[in-house]
Amino acid sequence: MAIIEVKKLSKNFKVKVKEKGLKNSLKAIIKPKYKIVRAVKNISFEVEKGEMIAFIGPNGAGKSTTIKMLTGILYPNNGSIKVLGIDPQKERKKLAYEIGTVFGQKEQLWTHLTPYDNFKFFGAIYDIPESRVEKKIEELKMLFELDDFINTPVRNLSLGQRIRCEIVASLIHEPKILFLDEPTIGLDPVVKENIRTLIKRMNKEYKTTVFLTSHDVSDIEKLCKRVIIINNGQVVLDDTMENLKYHYLNKKIVDAKMKERVNLDDEDGITILKDKGYNLKIEVDIQKRSVADALKLLNPDNIIDINISNVPLEDIISDIYKKEGKE
Amino acid sequence: MLMVVKNQLKISWLSIKYALIREMLNKTTFLTNIIFMVLNNASFIVQWIILYSLKDNVGGYTFKQVLLLWGIASGTYGVAHFFFKKAFSLSDTINTGKLDSYLVQPKNVLISAITTDIDTSALGDMIYAYITLFIYGVTLPNFLLFTFFCIIGGIFLTSISIILSSLSFWFSKSDIIADTGNGLMTNFATYPDGIFKGIVKILLFTLIPVGIVNYIPVRVMVSFNLGSFLIVIMATIFIVILAFLVFYKGLKKYSSSNLMMAKI
Repeated sequence: MAIIEVKKLSKNFKVKVKEKGLKNSLKAIIKPKYKIVRAVKNISFEVEKGEMIAFIGPNGAGKSTTIKMLTGILYPNNGSIKVLGIDPQKERKKLAYEIGTVFGQKEQLWTHLTPYDNFKFFGAIYDIPESRVEKKIEELKMLFELDDFINTPVRNLSLGQRIRCEIVASLIHEPKILFLDEPTIGLDPVVKENIRTLIKRMNKEYKTTVFLTSHDVSDIEKLCKRVIIINNGQVVLDDTMENLKYHYLNKKIVDAKMKERVNLDDEDGITILKDKGYNLKIEVDIQKRSVADALKLLNPDNIIDINISNVPLEDIISDIYKKEGKE
Repeated sequence: MLMVVKNQLKISWLSIKYALIREMLNKTTFLTNIIFMVLNNASFIVQWIILYSLKDNVGGYTFKQVLLLWGIASGTYGVAHFFFKKAFSLSDTINTGKLDSYLVQPKNVLISAITTDIDTSALGDMIYAYITLFIYGVTLPNFLLFTFFCIIGGIFLTSISIILSSLSFWFSKSDIIADTGNGLMTNFATYPDGIFKGIVKILLFTLIPVGIVNYIPVRVMVSFNLGSFLIVIMATIFIVILAFLVFYKGLKKYSSSNLMMAKI
């Protein structure tokens, strides 16, 4: 059964149009001009219980607007939302007991308090009895490895430690769904990896449904089994990660080190990405030409070393953005 | 219902307590803020001392009654700014998308948003208010009435700020309107109402309701009148309900924001 149901959801923003110059500014006071920005256009999707879903798109695509409508922060103009059978706009408080939110760009913790005091405060927000909060803090402290800094004021923690605490704070009330809006923003690769491992562990341990938005493709690749791509306020792809790779990985990158110089030009199915004489990097469209075919052109006897890889997922996704943007 | 109110009050109390702990981390700043506010308020009394050395009565008020007026004005301002500091920068909270974190919590958005911080100098206002009451002459009924009027007046001032700040849901830059409105409520609060005549006097009991917050309470304390006492209570209930209605009407227009920010 779907625990998030979104049907024909739309959100418009009325934005004042400001023309340049003092004269136009004066004119705008008397007769202001507005334009309607359609941030989310008629989108529909469902999320199943226990899923880890990536909701991605370029800046301004409508990701945060959608997540804010799902959590009851914004009111939609059209369409319907049911999160755990609850309408977020009509029963915001009831829903708040069931969901957790982490906005990577907005801190919810009091910086002068320790994580421990913050967690107790969050426990009080969700009306959880003291003894249960203590037990939960102990449990999450182990899971998220907070032992070393749980009694250090939040302002003295590193960004990675803070994000871990933000996630724990959002889990104190045992939410059924966790909304993560760019949780790894600004973190270094090692810390990012650590956060991903912890999110994965949490999903496994508590069966929490995770709704994740991120610009980092590795977050999506390593955490999620399903991906929804949104661009210009519309869902442009809703598929499993496996299908995404299968359908869009129709290109291979061949990186070869040659004994002798090879003169190769772009031809049907082959694109030269880099040609430094003895080092050659080509892209092979396997729908038009096989890799073996491409290797024949290089002459296998002439190859010293070779590496054949898939196109990075990052490139696939930006290709989808561009393609759908044009359409 | 009672449980909901109790839990909400618990959260607001915790927020105020944590904010107070933060302010007390810097002991010197904390104490000087309070002491200088008391001295600042006291300095204004000097002009009244000079005035009353020339005249026995200004606008129908004796010197002690002016002191009481100052006490009520400082007390209401102190209560409003200590407990509900963020109501006076609510426009900023709305414009910068800071309401998001309260909207995802199972508590009353408005109450949570306005009780999240304190103004330590407002403690100085409250202390000064009681100093003036002691000079005026304290009795148990006076003390209780004074405290009641300070609390109810503080809630009244907060409600006015909420109404004016909520305009930010509809118009950008409406913080200027809120600042002007809040300023007017303070500027008129320390002058005897007898010096105002005609339309100004009507305004002071309607559009700029300083009369409800300050003048009527002083009259009631000088000579108790049940009718006037009830007017203050009814007007406060009305303005509080209006504040909630305007805020929640506006909340449907809330557009959030993606600014980077930290809760400090």
